[in-house]
Amino acid sequence: MSAIDSAEAAVPRTPSPDESPVAGQSMARLLRPHARSFAAVVVLQVIGAIAGLLPLLAVVELGRVLLSPGPADTGRVWAEVIVGAAGLLVRLAFTAASSGIGHLVDGQVQLTFRRHLAARLGRVPIGWLSRRRTGELAKVVGQDVSAVHPFIAHAPGELVSAFVVPLVSLVYLLSIDWRLTLITLIPVALAIAHVPLLMLPARAREQEEFDAAMGRIADSVVEFVQGIAVVKAFGGGERAHRAFRTAADDFVAVFSRWVRGMSLVAAGMQLALSPPFVLLVVLIGGTALISGGGLAPADLLPFLLLGLGLTAPVAALGHGFDDLQAARRAVGRIKEVSEVPPLPEPTAPAVPHGHRVEFQGVRFGYDDDREVLRGIDLALEPGTVTALVGPSGSGKSTLVRLLPRFFDPTGGSVRIGGVDLRDLPTRELYRMVSFVFQDVRLLRASVTDNIALAVPDAAPEDVVRAARQAGVHDRILALPRGYDTVIGEEAALSGGEAQRIALARALLADTPVLVLDEATSFADPQTEHAIRRALAAPAGDRTILVIAHRLETVADADTVVLLDDGVITDQGPPAELLARDGSFAAFWRSHRSAIGDPDSAPPGGKPR
Amino acid sequence: MIRILLRVVGREYARPMRRTIALMTATAIVEGLLYALLVPVLRALFGGSPADARPWLVAFGAAVAAYAVLRYFSDLSGMRVGTTMLRGMYHRLGDHLARLPIGWYDAARVGEVSVMAGRGLLQAMGVAAHLLAPFIAALVTPLTIVAVMLAFDWRMGLAALAAAPVVALTSACTARAMAATDAERHERDHQAGARVIEYLQAQPILRAGGRTAERFGLLDDALRQVQRASRRTALAALPGAIGLTLTVQAMFTALLVLGAYLALGGGIGAAEVLAILVLAARCADPLLSLADIGGKLRGARAEIDRLDAVLRTEPLPQPAEPREPRGHGLEFDAVTFRHGDRTVLSGLSLSVPEGRRVAVVGPSGAGKSTLLQLVARFYDVDEGAVRVGGTDVRAIGTEALMSRIAVVFQDVYLFAGTIEENVRLGRPGATDAEVRAAATAARLDEVVERLPGGWHADVGEGGALLSGGERQRVSIARALLKDAPIVLLDEVTSALDPINEAAVHQGIERLMAGRTVVMVAHRLRTVQRADHIAFLEGGRIVEEGDHAELLRRGGRYADFWNASLAPATRQ
Ligand SMILES: Nc1ncnc2c1ncn2[C@@H]1O[C@H](COP(=O)(O)OP(=O)(O)O)[C@@H](O)[C@H]1O
Ligand SMILES: Nc1ncnc2c1ncn2[C@@H]1O[C@H](COP(=O)(O)OP(=O)(O)O)[C@@H](O)[C@H]1O
Ligand SMILES: [Mg+2]
Ligand SMILES: [Mg+2]
Repeated sequence: MSAIDSAEAAVPRTPSPDESPVAGQSMARLLRPHARSFAAVVVLQVIGAIAGLLPLLAVVELGRVLLSPGPADTGRVWAEVIVGAAGLLVRLAFTAASSGIGHLVDGQVQLTFRRHLAARLGRVPIGWLSRRRTGELAKVVGQDVSAVHPFIAHAPGELVSAFVVPLVSLVYLLSIDWRLTLITLIPVALAIAHVPLLMLPARAREQEEFDAAMGRIADSVVEFVQGIAVVKAFGGGERAHRAFRTAADDFVAVFSRWVRGMSLVAAGMQLALSPPFVLLVVLIGGTALISGGGLAPADLLPFLLLGLGLTAPVAALGHGFDDLQAARRAVGRIKEVSEVPPLPEPTAPAVPHGHRVEFQGVRFGYDDDREVLRGIDLALEPGTVTALVGPSGSGKSTLVRLLPRFFDPTGGSVRIGGVDLRDLPTRELYRMVSFVFQDVRLLRASVTDNIALAVPDAAPEDVVRAARQAGVHDRILALPRGYDTVIGEEAALSGGEAQRIALARALLADTPVLVLDEATSFADPQTEHAIRRALAAPAGDRTILVIAHRLETVADADTVVLLDDGVITDQGPPAELLARDGSFAAFWRSHRSAIGDPDSAPPGGKPR
Repeated sequence: MIRILLRVVGREYARPMRRTIALMTATAIVEGLLYALLVPVLRALFGGSPADARPWLVAFGAAVAAYAVLRYFSDLSGMRVGTTMLRGMYHRLGDHLARLPIGWYDAARVGEVSVMAGRGLLQAMGVAAHLLAPFIAALVTPLTIVAVMLAFDWRMGLAALAAAPVVALTSACTARAMAATDAERHERDHQAGARVIEYLQAQPILRAGGRTAERFGLLDDALRQVQRASRRTALAALPGAIGLTLTVQAMFTALLVLGAYLALGGGIGAAEVLAILVLAARCADPLLSLADIGGKLRGARAEIDRLDAVLRTEPLPQPAEPREPRGHGLEFDAVTFRHGDRTVLSGLSLSVPEGRRVAVVGPSGAGKSTLLQLVARFYDVDEGAVRVGGTDVRAIGTEALMSRIAVVFQDVYLFAGTIEENVRLGRPGATDAEVRAAATAARLDEVVERLPGGWHADVGEGGALLSGGERQRVSIARALLKDAPIVLLDEVTSALDPINEAAVHQGIERLMAGRTVVMVAHRLRTVQRADHIAFLEGGRIVEEGDHAELLRRGGRYADFWNASLAPATRQ
C-alpha cells in the first residue's frame, strides 16, 4: 500500500552484494548482462566508421579517372559516385544505431550501478557512514556514476574504430606510397608524443585535487542548505557561509591550476592533430615527392583525404581523454564505496527464546582512545519499563544504538532471548525491536508512509490507532490532505509533532521490545503525560526502555538505571533507590537544589 | 544565449567575453581561408608544374602558423574568462542563497541546489572554456569554406550553400524537441539527488525499520525515473542527429555528383573539382560535430536558465532606507501569520520590554518556534507587525537586525569542523577568554574536558558525532558568544539532564543579565523564574503573568504545571 514500498515487487533483486567479497568482481558481474549490447555497439560503430571511408575513396578514384590522360570513362565516374553515396548511407545507419544502443545500455548500466551502491550503502556500518560527508557520498551515487558514461556509451566503439579505421587506411595508403605514408604519420606521432605529458604524476595529482575540491563543494552545499537557519543567524547576514566560499575558491584555484598545467600540452597536441597542420605536412611531403618524380600527382589525393582520417580517431581519443580519466577516477571512488565491508550476517543464525534483553559486560568506544561504555551489565525483563537516566554525554544513546547493531560492542555481548545479536539475522532483529531515536527524522513521504515505515502493509486503521496513541491524530487531520500529506513538501511539522510521528511509527511496529530515546523531549507536559499513560497501560509482555530527563517520567518505571560516564552506578525500583540514598538519590537531590525548587518532595511512591 | 549568460554572471564580464568571441571567430575564419590556398597548390601539383606550388605552399605554412597562434590565444582567453566567471558565479550564487527567504528552502532544495552548485555551475561556465570555440569553429569555418568555394566556382558553391538553411532548420527543430526531455531529465536528476541524500541521512531509521535499498521504493523509483528520462533523451536526440548527418551527407553527395558532371562536361578543370571536393570534406566534419556540441550547449543553456531563475528569486525585501531600532524591546502587534492555509498565529500581541526575560509556554505546535522565527525575520508576517526597539523588523536592514539577535534553534545544526570553530561562528573576532566564558556558561567546558579532542574534537556533519545534549550546549555557547542584546532560546535544554539543565539556565541568566530574552521551554521548573510567562495556544496568547500569578489563576498554565508533576498511574 505504501509508495515507499511499491517498487519492491517490480524490482528484480540485485544479487546480494555479500556474495562477492571483491568489489571489482562484483562490478564486472554487474556489467556482464550487458555484454551483448556492448558487442553490438562496437561492431556497429566499426562497420559505420569503415563505411565512412568509402566516399573518400570515391573521390580518390574520381581523381584518378579525371586526372588520367585521355577522355574520362563516364561509366566509371558514375559508379564511383554511387559507391560514395552508398557508403555515406551505411555509415549513417550504423553509427546512429550504435549510438542509440550505446545510450540505452548506458542508462541501464547506470541504474544498475546506482542500485548496487544504494544497496551497499544500506549495509555499511553506521559508524563508517557517520564519519563520511553526505554530499560526497551522494556525489558518488549521482555524478560519479554519470561520469562512467563515456566508458560505456562512447569509449568502446571509439576505441575500436580508433584502431581499426586507421589500420585500414594505413594499409591502403601503404599500398600507394610508403614514403608519403610515413610523412603523413608525422602529426600522429607528434600527438602521441604528447600523451605521456598528459599522464605525468603531477597531472594525476592535479586531477585528484580537482575531484577532491569538487567533493568539498558538494559537502558544503549540503551543509549550506540544511544549516541555512544557522547561516542566516550567524553567517553575517548577507554573506554566504564561509565554508562554501572557501570550498568554491579552492575549487576555482585548483581548476585554473589544472587548466594551466594542461593548456600548453593540450594546445600542442591539438595543433598537431588539426587539419591545417596535417594538410601542410602532407602537401610539403607530396610536393617534394612529386617534384622528384617519385609520385604520381593523382596519388597525392588519397593522402589529403585519408591522411586526416588517420588522425581523427586519435583526436577523438585525445578529446575524450579527460573524460576517460575522470571516468577512471569515478570508478575508483565507486569501488571504494562498494568495497567497504558490510556488517557481517551470521553464518549459523540462532533462534531467540523470548525477548529478554541482556547486556553482558558490554564495552564500547567510537574511537580507540576513549571508551564510552565501560562494562555494562543490565537485563531488561519482559513486561517491565526500565528508565535510563544520567548526565548528557554519559552514553545512554550509545547503549541504545548497540541494540539495532548500528555498532557492535568491542567487549562483552548484547543478547535478545539468549541469542547474541551477532548470531541473529538482521531481519529477525528488526522484527523484535523498534526505536524512537533522539534525532527525529521524517522522510519526504506521506504521513501514512512515515508512520508505516517498518510495517508497509499495515491497515489504515492501525496507522490511525498508532497516531492516536502518540497524540498526533488530530494534528494529522488538520494537514492539507490528512494522512496523505507529503511531509516536507506540502507541510512541515513542529519539533514536538515530528517527535510524535516518530513515536507512532514505533508504536505501530508493535514489537516486543520498544526503545524510546528522549522521545518526548519536545512534548508539552500534558502531551507527555498522555503519552506516558498510553505507554504504561497495556504493558503486557512488552519490554520498554526509556531514556528520559524528567524525573516524574522516571518515577513511573519499574526499574531505574543511572548511567554515569559509561558505567551503571545505581539500579533498582525508584522508590527503593531513593530510600537507599545511593547515587540516584544524590542525583535527584542535586537536581532539586540546582533548580531551587521549594517543593522538593520526591514524587511517585513517596507521600508528599 | 551569451546575453543570458552575461546577465547571470554580471555585466563586468561582457568585455573579455566579447574579446574571446572575436578571437575565436578570427581563428575559425583563418582556418577556412587557409583551405583556399589548397586550390592553387593542387592546381599546380595536378597540372604537372609542381615548382609553381612552392610559393603557395610557403603562404600555406605561414597561414598555419597564424592559425596556431590565434587558436592558442583564443583558447587561453576562453579558459581565463571561464575560470574568472566560475569564481564570480560561485560567490554570486552563495551570497544570493544566503539572502533568500527561509521559506524557499524546503526539503527538496538540497538536491536541486547541490546539483546546481556542483556539476551545474561548472557546466554553465564551461561554455566559455570548452564549448564556445568548437561551436564557433563548427559554424564559421564551414561558412568561410563555402565562401571560398563560391569564389572558385559559383555552381558548386551554391550547391554547398543550399545546405546552410537546412542545417539551421534541423538544429532549431532539434533544440525545440529536446527542450522538454532535457528539462525532465534534469528534474529527475535532482529529485534522485535529494532522495539519495535523504536515504543516506535517514539510514538509522530506515535500518531500524528493516528498509534496505531494495525495499526503499522512494529511492528506487527516483533512480528508475532517471534512467527512463535518460532513455527518452537519448531517443529524442536521435532524429536531430540523423537529420543533421543526412543533410551534410546529402550536400557532400550533391557536390560529388555536380563535380563529376561538371568535370565530365569540361566546364571546370579536374584539379579545381578535386580541390573543391577536398574542401567539401573539410566542411563536412565540423558540421557533423554540431549535433554533439549543440547538445552540450543546450545542456549548458538550461543550466544557465536555472541559475538565472534562482538568482532572480526575490530575496527578502530590504528597506529602501533602513532605520535603526531604538532600544532592544520586542513587540508583537496583532500579528497574524500563515503557513499556506494554516493560520499559525492569529492576531497575537505581546510585548517584551528591554532587559526582561519572558518565557513562552504552550502545547507543541502552538506556534512558539514560529514566534521566535518572526523576530529573526525568517518569515514576514501576513498582518500586524513585529517590532524591535519600536521599529518594524521589515524596516531594519537584515544585517543590522541579525547583529542584534542571538538565536538557539530547536533543531540544532552544527557544521562539520571542530567544537571551537562552531562556537566561534557566533563572533569570529572573540578573544579566547570570551570563548571560554561562553563555554562555561553553557556547560560546554565539561564536554571539552571529557572529549579526547577537547576544543578540537570533530563534531561531524550536522553535529552527528556528539550526543544530543553536547550538541545543544555547543549551539548555546555559540549564541552566548555572539553577545547580542536580544536572545531567543527555543527549547534549548531539551536534551539535557536536569542538573546540566539547571546549570545552563543559571549560566544564561548570569551572562545574559540585562538582555532581552525570550525563551520557549516545556520543563516548567526552568521557566518559573522568568519575569513574565505567556501561555500560547491556538496561535494566541491565552494567559499572561508570572509563575505564582498563573498558578493562582488555575487556568491552562496551572494544568500544565500539575500534569508535569503527576506520575502516570499504571493499572
Ligand atoms: N557517532 C559518534 N562518534 C563519536 N563519538 C560519539 C558519537 N556519538 C556519540 N559520541 C560520544 O559518545 C559520548 C556518549 O554519547 P551519547 O551516548 O549520545 O550520550 P547521551 O548519554 O547524552 O545519550 C559523548 O561524549 C559523545 O560525544
Ligand atoms: N514550513 C511549514 N509549513 C507548514 N506548516 C508549518 C511549517 N512550519 C511549522 N508549521 C506548523 O505551524 C505550527 C506551529 O509550529 P511551531 O511554531 O514549530 O510550533 P511549536 O509551538 O511547537 O514550536 C505547527 O502546527 C506546524 O505544523
Ligand atoms: Mg542521547
Ligand atoms: Mg517549537
